[in-house]
Amino acid sequence: MTFNGIRALELLKLGTRLANACFRKGQEEAIRHVVEGAGRLLLVQKTGWGKSFVYFIAAKLLRERAMGPALLISPLLALMRNQIAAAERMGVRAETINSDNRERWSDVASAIERDTVDILLISPERLANEQFRSEVLAGIARRLALLVIDEAHCISDWGHDFRPHYRLLERIVRTLPVNVRLLATTATANDRVMDDLQKVLGPELHVSRGDLNRPSLVLQTMRLPSQAQRLAWIAAQVPALAGHGIIYTLTVRDAVQVADWLKSRGLNVEPYTGETGDSRPMLEQALLDNRVKALVATTALGMGFDKPDLAFVIHYQAPGSVVAYYQQVGRAGRALDAAYGILLSGEEDIDITDYFIDTAFPTESEVSDVLDALETVPEGLSIPELMARINLSRGRIQKTIDLLSLESPSPIARQESKWQLTASDLSPAFWERARRLTDLRRFEQRQMQDYVNLRCGHMEFLVRALDGDPGPIRPPALPPLPTTADPVLVREAVAFLRRTSLPIQPRRQWPAGGIPEYNLTGRIPPEFQSQPGRALCVWGDAGWGGLVRDGKYRDRCFSDELVRACAELVAEWSPRPAPEWVTCVPSLRHTELVPDFSRRLAAAIGLPFHAALRRTEARPQQKNMANSIQQASNVVGSLAISAQRPPVGPVLLVDDMVDSKWTLTVAAWCLRSHGVEEVFPLALALTGKRE
Amino acid sequence: MNNILSSNTQAILLLTAPLIVSKGQEPADVLTMGQYKQLAGFLRRQDRQAGDLLTLQAQELLDECEHLIAPERLRRLLDRGFLLSQAVERWTARSIWVVSSSDDEYPRRLKQQLKDDAPPILYGCGDAGILDTGGLAVVGSRHVDDALLAYTEHIGWLAGAAGCTLVSGGARGVDQAAMRGAIEAGGKVVGVLADSMERAVLNREHRALLMRRQLVVVSPYDPAAGFNVGHAMQRNKLIYALADAGLVVSSDFEKGGTWAGAVEQLDKLHLVPVYVRATGDVGDGIESLRRKGALPWPNPETPEALAEALVPEARPENPGSRKPVKMLWDLADQ
Repeated sequence: MTFNGIRALELLKLGTRLANACFRKGQEEAIRHVVEGAGRLLLVQKTGWGKSFVYFIAAKLLRERAMGPALLISPLLALMRNQIAAAERMGVRAETINSDNRERWSDVASAIERDTVDILLISPERLANEQFRSEVLAGIARRLALLVIDEAHCISDWGHDFRPHYRLLERIVRTLPVNVRLLATTATANDRVMDDLQKVLGPELHVSRGDLNRPSLVLQTMRLPSQAQRLAWIAAQVPALAGHGIIYTLTVRDAVQVADWLKSRGLNVEPYTGETGDSRPMLEQALLDNRVKALVATTALGMGFDKPDLAFVIHYQAPGSVVAYYQQVGRAGRALDAAYGILLSGEEDIDITDYFIDTAFPTESEVSDVLDALETVPEGLSIPELMARINLSRGRIQKTIDLLSLESPSPIARQESKWQLTASDLSPAFWERARRLTDLRRFEQRQMQDYVNLRCGHMEFLVRALDGDPGPIRPPALPPLPTTADPVLVREAVAFLRRTSLPIQPRRQWPAGGIPEYNLTGRIPPEFQSQPGRALCVWGDAGWGGLVRDGKYRDRCFSDELVRACAELVAEWSPRPAPEWVTCVPSLRHTELVPDFSRRLAAAIGLPFHAALRRTEARPQQKNMANSIQQASNVVGSLAISAQRPPVGPVLLVDDMVDSKWTLTVAAWCLRSHGVEEVFPLALALTGKRE
Repeated sequence: MNNILSSNTQAILLLTAPLIVSKGQEPADVLTMGQYKQLAGFLRRQDRQAGDLLTLQAQELLDECEHLIAPERLRRLLDRGFLLSQAVERWTARSIWVVSSSDDEYPRRLKQQLKDDAPPILYGCGDAGILDTGGLAVVGSRHVDDALLAYTEHIGWLAGAAGCTLVSGGARGVDQAAMRGAIEAGGKVVGVLADSMERAVLNREHRALLMRRQLVVVSPYDPAAGFNVGHAMQRNKLIYALADAGLVVSSDFEKGGTWAGAVEQLDKLHLVPVYVRATGDVGDGIESLRRKGALPWPNPETPEALAEALVPEARPENPGSRKPVKMLWDLADQ
């Protein structure tokens, strides 16, 4: 197929909306390579270089020659809105199918059927979904002309960013005939990753590699152990910085908290996380248009977000690897002479990245639990059936199933909705890989700490870690920022951390499959549900977490400070209709801890206390029950109304810790089925392990 | 087994296999066995191979094939590359392997016996090494009485105990009885399936045998393909071709797959000696097969006697020539 350079440039001008646009070094060659079918191509170019123009223009040129459509596989699709808009200007009909646009799926599927889609963008997880493959992908699979693999470093075990579903992609690439064009792109590939990619993508692979250095970035690192110190630092520094930027956190909770804090200080910021939902495009646009000072974001704001004049990227916590860090900080200063990349490192960083490392693979006992359960049932088991049989969370069961099913040969396969054992055992290579990757993640974590400790030479360190050539180093174009926090602001941040309360959303459904002994299935009738509740803190957090832990495990009594904090929380919350009395979740293990606290709280807010609920039998601790079915079964039937009939007015239902919410759900169900008007749960702490 | 396919195998799959990855998938206009044979022959004469159809220069080659098959149709089939990778993934996930007649791993016996008429693609699960061990093929009806099942199971047991592979179709009735006997004796078994391999390999009893390398299942039909009378009849050819001798335990007269398969051997293919049961009430089917030249089963009573009966020198030559005749089997009607 011959390449039409004039047409390609015309498309670029439409896409960029620049009448005098011209290709960057390497772009036109890459498009030509793909269109002419000259073999597989790997593009290693930093973010913002314009990789998307390569595949959109190539896809368009192929379509103009009556070839089949293209498929792009990328881990973070929601972030491709800007690119899709550029594609549309070039007349490329780009469609995506992801968890955020479920309502459009059938339209997209029929557009594929009508052959009016030029490029379909999906995630690797979507590709693994059997229903998607049979209902949507089949329409494109029989004449796919071009496969684009974005973030191709994920194919390599040595990539910093392990995504299990790229193993599937690796196998698909290995079996893909050479007459399907293949373009792989990544911003980061060290030598080891490149070796792997060569192996998977084939010896004929052509590589186009650009420069990694970002000379405009002024990088700085500092350790500020407590969250309050970092909150104070950001509140002091961000208003003084020129331009607009991103503040990255490791968790959704931190993003929301940092944003709330900065807003309380009068800063115009918004949180942006995987849970932000529909307002994500609006928030991206607000940052693009400089209508917010910053977005406080998790990595959900990542690949594909392109703001050339982004003036700063601040990390509230250190990510798990320098490659991940380079990708995030590399969003700043693309079209500026100077921009800040500041990394704050706190005491919880290692705990958080440890958690990601430790939970990345199922344990040997999780794997044997799942395989043993499947062994006993020749017809196979669905996920809810597995949950009823094994005491693992849905998430852990799903993760175990996902990773096992991505093995090749796989020890399990799905036939309709049930998982069955196949004629292959799990290969020891599975565990070797898990160990090797865990070791690699540990190495990356240490390397990140080395970066945090640097006094100078930050960019050089990053480029070398990526096996790039640092080239000539320029002196920083901006002065360094202060490395300490203002003590007055730190005190205010502590007070802020203690002011935050967290919502407890009521459960509305009995667990999948129901609880047959009590004939409870499906939806919990609204008249038996609780109202939304509140929790004072997160177990072990920087605000009240420490005091709650001391009360529960050291003093065996919750302090008066916590009573006052909860009383203030209730006053601020002011649930309606206002509670007329207080009760609590009883325990046979610590009979006085929660009732004592609840009585003192009732007194503090001027309401009567009634012990309306009692335990009918001792059960294993709820925190040892790992999934909904186990938790709900464990608590149903163990709670009952005490002999004395409860008052019928609205009640505040107190417990110390909330995990799965099943205890609160069942307690509310008991109370309401005895005529209590409304139930408002209040807990001291949320524990992390929630489904 | 990782199903890394050669470009030849990829091309043969693209041209001839339905590549079923979902229910209700629109069927592709794949080449019939006859068309594929012509194409393969043409390529061979040009000193080319199927894999060359996938390269950059394929366009010219496709145009040269025009006198056989419309280049547009070939291109449509070859454009299914991504679908192929999806199908291979589905097979691999179920521990199913695939080989083409261009692969070294393709069972030698099938190529020797069937020559150009060997199915271009073979799917399987389990130890492919068993496929080249020959053995005794046992075929018969699905619906037979308990006495006949016991008789068949005993023959399977003798074969197993004699270290002689048992080849069968895996259907209910005679097939499964023979396989049960052989397994019981610790012998090796080949199941030549006509449909639903995908389900068969997940079956719990099969799974244990597949993993112990006692059983291999094979089929020339897509693992997701459902039951089809034509396929069930035609796979008999493979059962005979994989064995050193065949035994028909029971057969309808002038109907059914067992009958058609045995008659095809006796009248046309002559791949292996065909025995028929020679004790008890054998019925019209068996009687007629005798008249067509089937040999009476000598009813060996010990494993040693059975092994001896199957030694080529010891057995009488089947009448007729051994020239292969055009195959009936057509992959296109899947």
